[in-house]
Amino acid sequence: MTRGRRAGLAALVLGLAAAAALHGRLAGAPVYDGIIVPPEPYRWESPPPNLRAGNKPPLPGEATLPVVNGQVAGGGVQTGDNQVVIYFGVGTFKAAPGTRTVKCTIEPDPNPPPPPAGVEIRGNVYRIGCIAQPGGGPVTLTSSYHLTMRFPPGPISEIQYNDGSGWRPLQTLRAAGGDPYANANAPGFGEYAATASTGATVPGGSILTIIGRYAPFFGILAFVIIFGVIAVVQELRRRQARIPAQSKKRRR
Amino acid sequence: MIQVRLAAPRRAIGLTGLIVGAALLRALLLPLGDLLSTLLFGGCLLTISWLERTAPTLPSPADGGGELPKTVGRAWSLGVGLMVGALLVAPLAGGALSARGLDGFWTWAALAALIATLEEIAIRGALYQRWRDEAGPVAAIVAGAVVFALIHLPRYGLAAMPLDAAVGLTLGGLRALTGRVLPCAVAHTIADWGAWFWA
Repeated sequence: MTRGRRAGLAALVLGLAAAAALHGRLAGAPVYDGIIVPPEPYRWESPPPNLRAGNKPPLPGEATLPVVNGQVAGGGVQTGDNQVVIYFGVGTFKAAPGTRTVKCTIEPDPNPPPPPAGVEIRGNVYRIGCIAQPGGGPVTLTSSYHLTMRFPPGPISEIQYNDGSGWRPLQTLRAAGGDPYANANAPGFGEYAATASTGATVPGGSILTIIGRYAPFFGILAFVIIFGVIAVVQELRRRQARIPAQSKKRRR
Repeated sequence: MIQVRLAAPRRAIGLTGLIVGAALLRALLLPLGDLLSTLLFGGCLLTISWLERTAPTLPSPADGGGELPKTVGRAWSLGVGLMVGALLVAPLAGGALSARGLDGFWTWAALAALIATLEEIAIRGALYQRWRDEAGPVAAIVAGAVVFALIHLPRYGLAAMPLDAAVGLTLGGLRALTGRVLPCAVAHTIADWGAWFWA
């Protein structure tokens, strides 16, 4: 065995052992490459009829945040399926004396209040709440917190909030790059949902707009494929040309 | 001879810089979209490998005077590639399956295979050959692992870097052991496909 192959075998064994050991420490999947894996299908609490088959129920989330010197140092809560993520900054809560921790929960609501006229709820309605521990008493928010919600394919216009007195829209920011997430500053505890005007559709465009949207992608894909095929063909020809030359040398 | 050895690593380092530069370009172009920036990255790798294909190499200082190591059969090396790919996915396979199903899988899988193959042609092909010829096989394996970890840094962050380096080491070892790029491309592709089902 050559030195190179011995080194190769050692690197292979060492690399596999290290990869297996490191996998357990990462929350995600293999991260060796390139194209981002598309997100899992949206998990519906009440799926539309055509999506009932294969739908997985949405998951709740909870976190317990410690209180230090009467203040919560901040922290995040997310649902098990990452469809809702909230983040509290330092001092967002005012906790009663004696509070040791604040427990926050995010739960999909199976029976949400109906949306206002002319608006439809897109996806699930989530109930967000926090209680003081021990005792389960209420906690007061002193400022808003950050909310990120995933929404299903289709249009959305804004996230709406319902604290029991009716839905009201929040200033909403859509994630860049077409990702199905929207952000808002959540003003309180209650129910949140992504919404759209009734009958709204995803904005389309003229044929030129559509061509403009897809031309760069398919142009570069064509370049990579065509150039790759040419490279492979030329390499094969080069190898074939080398074989007769080598056999001629041997004959001599 | 001394002059040759001193000059040699510069070419390998230059090629390393080109590949890392292509990854940096991809990171800068990410706001244009994942697919577009990834395909541009693939185009850069293809161009680098193409230009490097005919570049002269130097006698190896450490592996038989520049001769190629004796390569193993194609079928055997393919089998090793499949096995290594399966071993890379194995730690994930115990987890819960994702709900993605097969809708959209084949398009995604073809693109992932294309990019994985281009990365392997550039890193375990051109870059490995250059480092091996100029600094020996161990340097070639290590350089490939470092580059592999670096090019994934913008996308997956520092937390994933040790894992990417370990996988880069595995694929570099596979390249040195089999003398071929094909098994590395196969193992890399299988490992990527695992992300669809278990991520």
